[in-house]
Amino acid sequence: MSELKKADLLKAYRTMREIRDFEERVHKEFATGKIPGFVHLYAGEEAVATGVCMHLNDDDRITSTHRGHGHCIAKGVDSIGMMAEIYGKKTGSCCGKGGSMHIADLEKGMLGANGIVGAGGPLGCGAALAAKFKGKGGVAVVFFGDGASNQGTILESMNLANIWNLPVIFLAENNGYAESTGVKYNVPTPNIADRAAGFGMPGVTVDGNDFFAVYEAAGEAIKRAREGGGPTLLECKTNRFFGHFEGDAMTYKAPGEVKRQREECDCLKIFAAKVTSAGLVTAAELEAIDKEVAALIDEAVEKALAAPTPTEADLLTDVYVSY
Amino acid sequence: MLLDRVNESNTLLLLTNMKSMKHDNPAVGVLVNPASGRDVRRLVAKASVFQNTEKCNMVYRLLGALGVLGIGEVFMMPDVAGVACHIMHSLQYGRHGNPQKLPEVHFLEMPIEDGPVDTLRAIELMVNRGVGAIVVMGGDGTHRLVAKKCGDVPLVTLSTGTNNAFPEIREATVAGLAAGLVASGLVTAADVCQRSKVLRVDKNGAAEDIALVDVCVTSAGWIGSKALWHPESLRELFVAFAEADAVGLSSIAGLVRPVDRRSCYGLHLTLGPPGEGIMTVTAPIAPGLLAPVGITGMKEIKRGEIQTVAAAYGTIALDGEREIEFGGQDDIKVWLDVNGPLIVDISKTMEQAVRNHVFVKTEYDEHRRESAS
Amino acid sequence: MSRKISFKDAINEALSQEMERDGSVIVMGLDNAGGRGTDGQLDAWGGVLGVTKGLYGKYGDRVIDTPISESSYIGAAVGAAACGMRPVVEMMFSDFFGVCFDQMMNQAAKFRYMFGGKAVTPVTMRTCYGGGFRAAAQHSQVLYSVFSHIPGLKVVVPSTPHDAKGLLTQCIRDNDPVIFMEHKVLYAMKGEVPEESYAIPFGKANVVREGKDVTVVAIGWMVHKALQAAQSLSKAGVECEVIDPRTVSPLDYDTIIKSVEKTGRLVIVDESNPRCSMASDISSVVAQNAFKALKGSIQMVTAPHTPSPFSGALEDLYLPSPAKIEAAVKATM
Repeated sequence: MSELKKADLLKAYRTMREIRDFEERVHKEFATGKIPGFVHLYAGEEAVATGVCMHLNDDDRITSTHRGHGHCIAKGVDSIGMMAEIYGKKTGSCCGKGGSMHIADLEKGMLGANGIVGAGGPLGCGAALAAKFKGKGGVAVVFFGDGASNQGTILESMNLANIWNLPVIFLAENNGYAESTGVKYNVPTPNIADRAAGFGMPGVTVDGNDFFAVYEAAGEAIKRAREGGGPTLLECKTNRFFGHFEGDAMTYKAPGEVKRQREECDCLKIFAAKVTSAGLVTAAELEAIDKEVAALIDEAVEKALAAPTPTEADLLTDVYVSY
Repeated sequence: MLLDRVNESNTLLLLTNMKSMKHDNPAVGVLVNPASGRDVRRLVAKASVFQNTEKCNMVYRLLGALGVLGIGEVFMMPDVAGVACHIMHSLQYGRHGNPQKLPEVHFLEMPIEDGPVDTLRAIELMVNRGVGAIVVMGGDGTHRLVAKKCGDVPLVTLSTGTNNAFPEIREATVAGLAAGLVASGLVTAADVCQRSKVLRVDKNGAAEDIALVDVCVTSAGWIGSKALWHPESLRELFVAFAEADAVGLSSIAGLVRPVDRRSCYGLHLTLGPPGEGIMTVTAPIAPGLLAPVGITGMKEIKRGEIQTVAAAYGTIALDGEREIEFGGQDDIKVWLDVNGPLIVDISKTMEQAVRNHVFVKTEYDEHRRESAS
Repeated sequence: MSRKISFKDAINEALSQEMERDGSVIVMGLDNAGGRGTDGQLDAWGGVLGVTKGLYGKYGDRVIDTPISESSYIGAAVGAAACGMRPVVEMMFSDFFGVCFDQMMNQAAKFRYMFGGKAVTPVTMRTCYGGGFRAAAQHSQVLYSVFSHIPGLKVVVPSTPHDAKGLLTQCIRDNDPVIFMEHKVLYAMKGEVPEESYAIPFGKANVVREGKDVTVVAIGWMVHKALQAAQSLSKAGVECEVIDPRTVSPLDYDTIIKSVEKTGRLVIVDESNPRCSMASDISSVVAQNAFKALKGSIQMVTAPHTPSPFSGALEDLYLPSPAKIEAAVKATM
């Protein structure tokens, strides 16, 4: 069990808090009508992105989904740039040309949120292939959901990763819903990890609401990949508090389900309770982080609202490097 | 108060409620752990992959066997992990194509929280329904949970988990026959069942939890992904029994000084880095994971003798899974109880069935049956 | 130094020279070596039509055979490109793009734009196309129009061994995703190809034959059919200016427009089906920009709006021919 020092615990909490506050704020701001297009919020799943990405550095790559804000923040993408991007402003991470579903920061190894379900599978294999050629022990993590677990690209990618022994981790975030359809309907035995055996790699399921369980299992999978042991399928069972997209009334969820999840399955609450009762971190220290993050998110929104929009000249740029 | 409880349990409970006559409407409980076979030991060790589809196959084999013995009802735990659903569908649509008469399968009416509490609830309900036996499909962890609630209902243990020091690796059809024989009274339960030992863990003076095989004190800070695979984190080990041919933490003791399931004592080992202490044992602490572990001390623990855990903080693993986090102010005690759950000895059961001619019919039997009716 | 080699060998040479020059170039595709996982020979095929033969022997692990799962391996090439490599990935027949188009259209093509100019995706996707082999409907299509429609992709269609080598070299060196289209019939064609490495820039049409009477734009294999027609027409006193665009995205409209301003007549020979074709595209751009120069209506010589037929008799009717080109030229007059 990789020893987590106090600094690591504080970092973990801060990352999860930043994701949570970012998403809760976007939820509020979206309702004002100032955010264009679609947003898909990650609130409730923070422990997964955080527990995984804490083992990664900038040379490791991740591919993501339409629900990518959490992966971005956990991988070190700047929240202020992200917020501006979501508002479609010129100062955004992608100069306002990508939006919520396409936020990327290649320098931080974040190969982009993706509007195509399952598209990250092959891209992640490519990143892992590049890492293999580079020979420095870099890995790739493919985040995908229970919905994507049926997409041909994911199944093909698992096969490819196996036969080429790629340093890639297939990270299944099973939040129980693929849009409005439950995983019980879409997946025959609703444990995505069960598919791993068919692709010749270990398949593990952990509680995605427990940061420590995710951190441990992801750490082992990443270590295995770095050492040339090949791919792993790691399934984290979690929950999303919001709808598939903002505006989704969530009528497919049972009454009281989200309320119960926010009370009993909130990874931030669970984490805070554990670390404070173990005496490793004080409630005051966590509150200080809460304040700091709240201020950061406020700043991000203010800056996003004030930032300029892209101009006509920006419309035609960066289609190609040269044409 | 702790001593009172210990003294009560010191007396071996007699099997006073077991009828040796054939029961009317015998029912059996079948508890399948839908979660077993996909924890982190698939990754950090070479633990076997146990798909839910195989668990379902095993259930069909059990049902076929139970049906043949005249068991009319089977109670099962509902789950959202695909086992209950699979079985329900198959029975409804006859997908498994089994022409034999099967018992009626009832899924217990209970909320599903998709966690260990489901197992506890299910066993309570099965016991209340008066089942004559419970077939448990899972690893040490599952059996441990069942043991907390099963009382004196005999258990047929079938391994589908990772750490399988406790349950037997058996074929499900025969296990089903054994369960049916005990539940229906065609075989005398008292003759074929054996009490297992139990390790009890108390935290700050109150009963906290139990283990059927081993209790391990580790330096890990968290329960995390539960399994143990870092030998350097192991500090103390208590074993209720330790077989030389077991896989799991008990093998640390079992490869040095085996302890039989029937004996009235256990062992307490203090552990340290390999190369230090009185000896180093290389033991299979998980399937495919052989690790050197240093033993700094080893002593017998008698039943009822209270042991105090030395470490000031860490986590306690019960039957190979981290379950209890403890810290500076906590006082942890462990003691061996000999009054654990009743376990059906499948071999003995089948041998008694042979003596009782359960499976054999001759013309004479047919003739007697006809005159009796 | 120049010598005559085949179109196929010219491609092989371009690949080999680029792999020699740049260690980040890798070759991927179905049976690009062949024989993997068997008890027989390695490099058993060198590509289904032998185009990549011999590369495995020289470059070993940099020639990667893939399982039949286009979405994953085309996507892996795209991902590897985004992470600093220069993969040359093969889609065995361009007709198979349906299986993996998302990775080309929504991923490779759009990274640079969506990510605000911060992504560089230097992937080359080689693929064979076109009819004449009686390969029937699912192995004979001409789809460069579909690919060209997508902003972010470049599409290259060489017509000679010389152009094949130079354009493929440019594809590999180019920092954008490019689809390099190889006509099956041209593989065997021999032509003068310099031994040394050279790159032909994109967006520069080649005026293959000068003429004053009619501009004939032809793509890929059709360039040769147009030249045949031009020879015959010349005897009748009609001089065709045959223009080979070489790359259809970017497309050198300027050269075509300039030529039409000179000749006043335009025939476009495009082997693809007519709706939304390259022929329609060029017609429309010329009509918009050089309308006053036109002396007669623009003519398109294309396949009909049908899938490719199997029977030789039908396929020969399906494909544009020198006779049809001649008729089209006459129709502009």
